[in-house]
Amino acid sequence: MDTTVNGEHTTVHPAPEDAAAETLREELGLTGAKIACGQGVCGACTVLVDGAPTASCLLPSTALEGRSVTTVEGLEGRHPVQRAFAAHDALQCGYCTPGFVVEAAAFHDRWRAEHGTGAPDRADIADALSGHLCRCGAYEGIYAAVASACAGRFDEDASSGADGGARTDAEDKITGRARYTTDVHPEGCWEAVVVRSDRAHARVERIDAAGAVHVDLLPEDRTVRYAGQPVAAVAAPTRAGARQAAARVRVDYRDLPAVLDTGTAATPGAPLVYADKEERSAAPSSNEGGTAPAPWRGNRRGPLNLGFRRGTAVKRLNDAHARGDRLLFSAEFSTAVQVHTPLEPHACVARWEGGDLYLNVSTQYVRGVAREAAEHWDLDPERVHVRAEHVGGGFGAKSALSTESIAAVELSRLAGAPVRLVFDRSEELTDTGNRPGTRTRLAMLADEKGDLSALSIDTWGDGGVSIGSAVAVHGMLIYGRAPRRLRDFDVVTHRPPGLPFRGPGGPPLAWALEQAVDEMALRLGEDPIALRQRWDGNPKRAALYERAAALPMWRDRERGARTGRFRRGVGVAVSNWPYLLDPSAQVELVVEDGCVVVRTSTQDIGTGVRTVLARVVREELDLDADQVRVETGDSGPVPGPGSFGSRTTTSVAPAAADAARRLGERLRASADGGPAASRENLKAAEGLRTTGTRARDRRGFLSPPFNNAEMALGRGLAGAVHVMEVEVDTRLGRVRPLHCWAGIAAGRIYADRQARNQAHGGVVQGIGYALYEQRVTDPVTGRTLSDNLEDYRLPGIGDAPEIEVYFHEEGWEHVPGGGVGLGEVSTVGVAASVANAVRDAVGRRPLDLPVRPDRLLEGLR
Amino acid sequence: MSIVSTDEFARLTEELRSGAEARAGGTDTMARLRAGLDAGPFADLGGLEELRGVAWGPNGGARIGALTTVADVAADPVLGAAYPALTATARALATPQIRNAATLGGNLLQRNRCWYFRNPEFSCHQDGGDSCPARAGDHRGGVAFDTSPCAAPHASSLAVALLAYDARAETADGRSDPVQRPLRELYDAADGTRDHVLEPGEVLGVIELPAPEPGETAAYVRATARSRAEWPLVEAVARVVREDGGSGRVARVAVAAGAVARTPLRLGEVESALEGAPADPSEAAKAVEGLPGQCSPLPGTRYKTTLLRDTVRDALERALA
Repeated sequence: MDTTVNGEHTTVHPAPEDAAAETLREELGLTGAKIACGQGVCGACTVLVDGAPTASCLLPSTALEGRSVTTVEGLEGRHPVQRAFAAHDALQCGYCTPGFVVEAAAFHDRWRAEHGTGAPDRADIADALSGHLCRCGAYEGIYAAVASACAGRFDEDASSGADGGARTDAEDKITGRARYTTDVHPEGCWEAVVVRSDRAHARVERIDAAGAVHVDLLPEDRTVRYAGQPVAAVAAPTRAGARQAAARVRVDYRDLPAVLDTGTAATPGAPLVYADKEERSAAPSSNEGGTAPAPWRGNRRGPLNLGFRRGTAVKRLNDAHARGDRLLFSAEFSTAVQVHTPLEPHACVARWEGGDLYLNVSTQYVRGVAREAAEHWDLDPERVHVRAEHVGGGFGAKSALSTESIAAVELSRLAGAPVRLVFDRSEELTDTGNRPGTRTRLAMLADEKGDLSALSIDTWGDGGVSIGSAVAVHGMLIYGRAPRRLRDFDVVTHRPPGLPFRGPGGPPLAWALEQAVDEMALRLGEDPIALRQRWDGNPKRAALYERAAALPMWRDRERGARTGRFRRGVGVAVSNWPYLLDPSAQVELVVEDGCVVVRTSTQDIGTGVRTVLARVVREELDLDADQVRVETGDSGPVPGPGSFGSRTTTSVAPAAADAARRLGERLRASADGGPAASRENLKAAEGLRTTGTRARDRRGFLSPPFNNAEMALGRGLAGAVHVMEVEVDTRLGRVRPLHCWAGIAAGRIYADRQARNQAHGGVVQGIGYALYEQRVTDPVTGRTLSDNLEDYRLPGIGDAPEIEVYFHEEGWEHVPGGGVGLGEVSTVGVAASVANAVRDAVGRRPLDLPVRPDRLLEGLR
Repeated sequence: MSIVSTDEFARLTEELRSGAEARAGGTDTMARLRAGLDAGPFADLGGLEELRGVAWGPNGGARIGALTTVADVAADPVLGAAYPALTATARALATPQIRNAATLGGNLLQRNRCWYFRNPEFSCHQDGGDSCPARAGDHRGGVAFDTSPCAAPHASSLAVALLAYDARAETADGRSDPVQRPLRELYDAADGTRDHVLEPGEVLGVIELPAPEPGETAAYVRATARSRAEWPLVEAVARVVREDGGSGRVARVAVAAGAVARTPLRLGEVESALEGAPADPSEAAKAVEGLPGQCSPLPGTRYKTTLLRDTVRDALERALA
């Protein structure tokens, strides 16, 4: 079949059922276009067909005959939109970027032809890019990039040495050159497919793989505890062959009674998810910091009981209830299960070579995966090599050696060939972790002076077979030390397990607590920001309150009851987040070919840590952009941190500065009085190597290092204030976020644009949590119904408000480098700020998240 | 603009009769193939060039080829002037890169979006089974008019608009002359086993619309949670013809709704309540009052009864403005 691709006449040989995306990627090696949802929803596969942007994952390859196709590679990095995406940092992980760039380029060319250099407005851009999803939430940069490219500001090829704030890997990501795990396909590579249980609870009696190369993935007790649990994996030389082999696998189940909702699970006599102590001890956890022991009663675990003067708190609340105290607020809140949904699914390419194991994994933790793999297969750690050059998002779901890697490694050994295992979107949305749902009962009492008198929070976590929901416990970190009782329970069910998800436990706590504080401000007749400022104990946030209170959006907001169909409201929420770091982090610098190469075994999942490392080294040594190269995403070099717990930057940046100082000293010694980092001097220093470490904080850490000495809790809490304006359509029930101000106190900002981008993404993900995202399982079978990107709904560009970010950079002088992480604190309070804005607009408090139109309208009736 | 009975067309219809599935833009068939619901083989209609584009009849009515892309329908200024709610609907559905591939015919004949039907682990009336798992399960996207064993609403937005414009569908089977029927006869509200009534071998070729009336106005409203790119919770088209060539009272009104029933639905009682009324947006609220009472919702779709009322009201107010 003849077609033209990127201007070249080409003959391809697709099967009748192949999609154009497969032909382009597999046959022609054009891996810029990604297959991320497989349903034409996310736009990552977009290419131009005769100039028209088209979802290539749904386009039959046969439709390419005689047509002309342009992929992101065909734009050759020379399109103004590409330069604009880099300059405005309109990307994070980069997995969606080729699709956005192709669509935006087509829009740009059409717009310029019709409008010259008049910039399009946000609605024009949102219309054009409505078929693209960016899970990292880089929409603010995308709006800016498209608007300024259309205005003609990137017509010239800016080839000056200045990087203008672009991230160091921007060029690779906007051109489609960046290689992700899903793009890796070594010669002779087999494909693997996982066979999963369609039962929620069953004992597997027998697996008949019908002769296929396969691996058993069941736990020792041969029991499946949720629909979607891996049973086995098969491999074959082609993906079609692997799918056929998977379809031929016969699994004999003996069905066992299942509990599929927390209500049933908590009733006496309900079937048990874990029958005894031994089974319970194998339960997975959705908690990041280890799971404290707690009592079990049936399927209910807990409480984990914390607080200050708990007895006093309970007595005050009971007394207030008995006397009908007006300043007692109590309510029950709920939050839905949220799924991480990185656009790059979990994926692994495994190969054995002379006793060495080589893994390409889409992971947030190359170092951890390497260590776990060495333990799992009993290998010398030196013989395990894990790579993740680019990672298409993670958000907490890719922090361990998990099914995709275990299966690929085993199958590779059996097949005697490299094996690739890439989850499809259904698997990704079913069984790669989630933020557990919650039900929270909260009671809050203020005294006659308007001070917080007592607080009680009970939270029941709904993490499926996972335990470790830790929500109420975060109430220890905020609003001083007034009496409080904070209890966390888990209710386990036969549903897929939760995992840590960006700020684990934080957003559901904020959803309840920040609404309660808001309610108290209303009852006290006090400004919600002023009340928080009074109650708050976080000194770093004082400056944020002052700024927030002075915002025109806040100061000039409408007061009193709104009328009319469309009503606007403004809400505020605050949050704290612990400061974690990896005290074992190191950074190595080596002079190679006149260039300083920066290495550490961390990975860039879109956070911009490559850029942070490059900046720190350049500033310390006064180097030009082309004199520094950052190589991350490899388990081989000196130890680096995992990308979770908001700890990457604060761990590696001081280590990089330390290494650079050491290198500078050595260079100065050989510079003979001249500039230390001159090109000549660098050239002469070929092979020079220094290693920097992460110095301890002044006054040390709050905890001794734990988790293999890779984690420590530092002093101080990162803080945030979010002010959100929404418009509610009271007729059709839609909530439209209009503006958001995000004030963040996390100390020094190392790379301004990338940090802002993170903060934007936190807002966008919080909006998704508040308004759209909800994992849904079938109440009869426990199977996941929301297993595609139409039914699991991520916020699109048109749902993103205009976002302004303010950084308060003081208060962290005890930390080397002066800055801590902000990935999590950027999102914790966002959903609560939406709730308070909705309450302000319509006079009704949304207790249940997400605030869907049906729920909102029900509340207004 | 019509199906030409070539040998090529006859061969396609034979393939269809022997079990192949018709594939036009592929946006629905490929999605089902990828989800493991469908294994092909497919009969590609893409080569029927004569079924692309718009032709205008001597009476001022349009004939739109079934292989015209949704994007081309959306962007056609002449169509937009004559049938504004049709092009508005085309602009509101799916996403630009789907609209560039998806066709008018494919949109009208697509399968429903029920998450049980689309999940290969469930069997239902639509794939040869004898039950509807949505009824005992989570059917928040289901029908508000329960008329068949299947609880999934029809997914076509364009059908809603075309129904309001009294469109007719022209089909051919490669053996006899093309036949025309009213668009609504493509669907059967009582049939829970399929989403349209065309038999294997029957190909939808052309959609014919009557000429617009002088001064008529129309509006499309799509109720969604997100701002764009979302299947509607409820959608509605209202079309108003005024007396005296556009300046007088309401002469005729057509109201159609989608995402609420097994077929796109005309709402006759709303229409008759408005005929003869002053052409003023304030008339809309009263006309839609009785709609919730006409619904037969499932436990999980009660919200759709009032949302239908309010979506239709919105469309009417816009068309009457």
